[in-house]
Amino acid sequence: MRSRIEEHLSKLQKKGEKAFITYYTAGLGGMEATRQIIEAQKGYTDVIELGIPFSDPIADGSVIQQASYEAIQQGSSLRKTFELMKDIRDSGSQQPILFMMYYNTIVNYGIEAFAKKCDECGVDGLIVPDLPLEEQEELQGAIDKYDTTILIQLVSPISADRIPVILENAKGFVYCVSSMGVTGGKGTFHSKVIDYLSDVKKHSKIPVMMGFGIREAKDVEPMKDIIDGAIVGSHFINLMREGNYNPDIAREYVSKFKREIQLTGGRSFCQPLKRNEDN
Amino acid sequence: MNEKAYYGQFGGQYVAETLMNVLNEIDEEFEKAIRDEEFIREYNYYLKEYVGRETPLYLAENLSKKYGTKIYLKREDLNHTGAHKINNVLGQILLAKRMGKTKIIAETGAGQHGVATATGCALFNMECTVFMGSEDVKRQALNVMRMEMLGAKVVSVESGSNTLKDATNEAIRTWAKTAEDTFYIIGSAIGPYPYPKMVKEFQSCISREAKKQHFEKEGRLPDVVMACVGGGSNSIGMFADFIDEKDVKLIGVEAAGKGIDTNEHAASMARGHIGVLHGTKSYLLSDEDGNVQLAHSISAGLDYPGVGPEHAFLRDSGRAEYVPITDAEAMDALMELTREEGIIPAIESAHAMAYAIKYAKEMTENQSMIICLSGRGDKDVNTISDYIAGKGYLN
Repeated sequence: MRSRIEEHLSKLQKKGEKAFITYYTAGLGGMEATRQIIEAQKGYTDVIELGIPFSDPIADGSVIQQASYEAIQQGSSLRKTFELMKDIRDSGSQQPILFMMYYNTIVNYGIEAFAKKCDECGVDGLIVPDLPLEEQEELQGAIDKYDTTILIQLVSPISADRIPVILENAKGFVYCVSSMGVTGGKGTFHSKVIDYLSDVKKHSKIPVMMGFGIREAKDVEPMKDIIDGAIVGSHFINLMREGNYNPDIAREYVSKFKREIQLTGGRSFCQPLKRNEDN
Repeated sequence: MNEKAYYGQFGGQYVAETLMNVLNEIDEEFEKAIRDEEFIREYNYYLKEYVGRETPLYLAENLSKKYGTKIYLKREDLNHTGAHKINNVLGQILLAKRMGKTKIIAETGAGQHGVATATGCALFNMECTVFMGSEDVKRQALNVMRMEMLGAKVVSVESGSNTLKDATNEAIRTWAKTAEDTFYIIGSAIGPYPYPKMVKEFQSCISREAKKQHFEKEGRLPDVVMACVGGGSNSIGMFADFIDEKDVKLIGVEAAGKGIDTNEHAASMARGHIGVLHGTKSYLLSDEDGNVQLAHSISAGLDYPGVGPEHAFLRDSGRAEYVPITDAEAMDALMELTREEGIIPAIESAHAMAYAIKYAKEMTENQSMIICLSGRGDKDVNTISDYIAGKGYLN
């Protein structure tokens, strides 16, 4: 059986659509606001990343650090986010949703218990930014006992010869970090980002998504022919915060982004990249 | 799983993908360097001529008489810059040079590692940035001044608890952005592999010398070796050459703050759970949601919620024992050492001293122990003065 993420992305592929992914810190503005912000994105956002707040988010920039801190202060936790997920699935929602979280939160919960709970609550995937390929065995083994949850692989601009190894058994999509460092920033991508994305695309059998420093669909214009979708985190959180967590603002933003990313006029979704032809 | 990155179930490389190639390059170059006679010769040259090694192994006469056993102090406080931290900094900075890096970053708690790093950068003309929690910037104003005099940029980190843990987070974030030209010098026996191994290698001069010196004085091995443990750099250096000497008892002393049954301590061994922080799996103080808890200790250098992975392994395998010492016990020992021997120790080292005094009662006249006096107390004079004022200590 394929995960909800894989099912959904394969539908997009058939339609030739590019994917749009958002990140939101679970519990920022309260769990009810989080539920509404997820609900509001139905039909527009292809995959939702829910960030489980952690006290020491070393892969995150200042926006998500602050969001995590506030969410914890407001009572957010892994346990509460599992409850939210259960409610969302009980209400019949089939939106692809994954957790982005740090490994300590999983170790603390118990790896086996965590995998079981992900299955029970319909968590479709995991992004664990401090768990490189070499350290994934235990978690991978635990989630593989169920058919529900996949582990998303990240690659970076200096992954170089690690890219084929990382992509060998990757599932769902590959998350390309656009720049060195942490989430957020001002759309200043790594100087060799095009070469790097092309290299990832060349090795990947699954969709290639780019994240870190993206705000608007036009930010990915230069790499529109290479990537299959874009991920927005810090900017989305800023929007929600400024808009007092109003779900209408979320809907407005994601519908616009999803529409605009289709208008790039580039290669349609998931077609192989022809690097050495026509140029 | 990269098995060499582990000490039993502890250690590993829990970092962003961005840093994996960087760690592999460091590991490769480090392994080459420590087998390169020229590198070792240069490192030893600076340890001798610049740091002032070897440091004495001093028989604390008055304390030994008072407690009826031989108490030796390994005088790391006599090193240039006032603590053991410089041993490791020089090793890592020579490695950075060898790798062609021009910029250095470091985290610091008490400021000793920051001062040592700033010192090394001044010597080797490297650009230096030190991350320090804003709380520690206040507590350790003297060391901030020293670092700035040495030409380092001190970044005051305002996040979380504003202490060492948060400074380390920020250093790791900056490293992930700049790793192409920047070398991160970690000062404690923590971090992703190969850092715990590098720190141990470059601090092992402490036990190598102490073992030889003890042989010269006593003609045998010591019965007990003791050191304070925050992240665990001086202690892993003090233990290194004794780990295979099964008859030598190894004791690590962690900071119990206001007591391990309160919420204000830094006793990750006594009260922690297995967790992952700053790239390594080890014992960690965390709450039921897996968030890292704030550590507390009167000593800024021990105020850390985790502990180096090899220490976690040494404990679980039964090779070493780890015991807690409170703020109050450490301050009593600090005053006792000052009055009895005329040595003002760092508050960190006073924790080891406090347990040594307790443990001495179980020892005989002919037995001996070595305590790592990891640093001197000059940097702590403000803290000591506040403590005395608050507690009426001298009355």
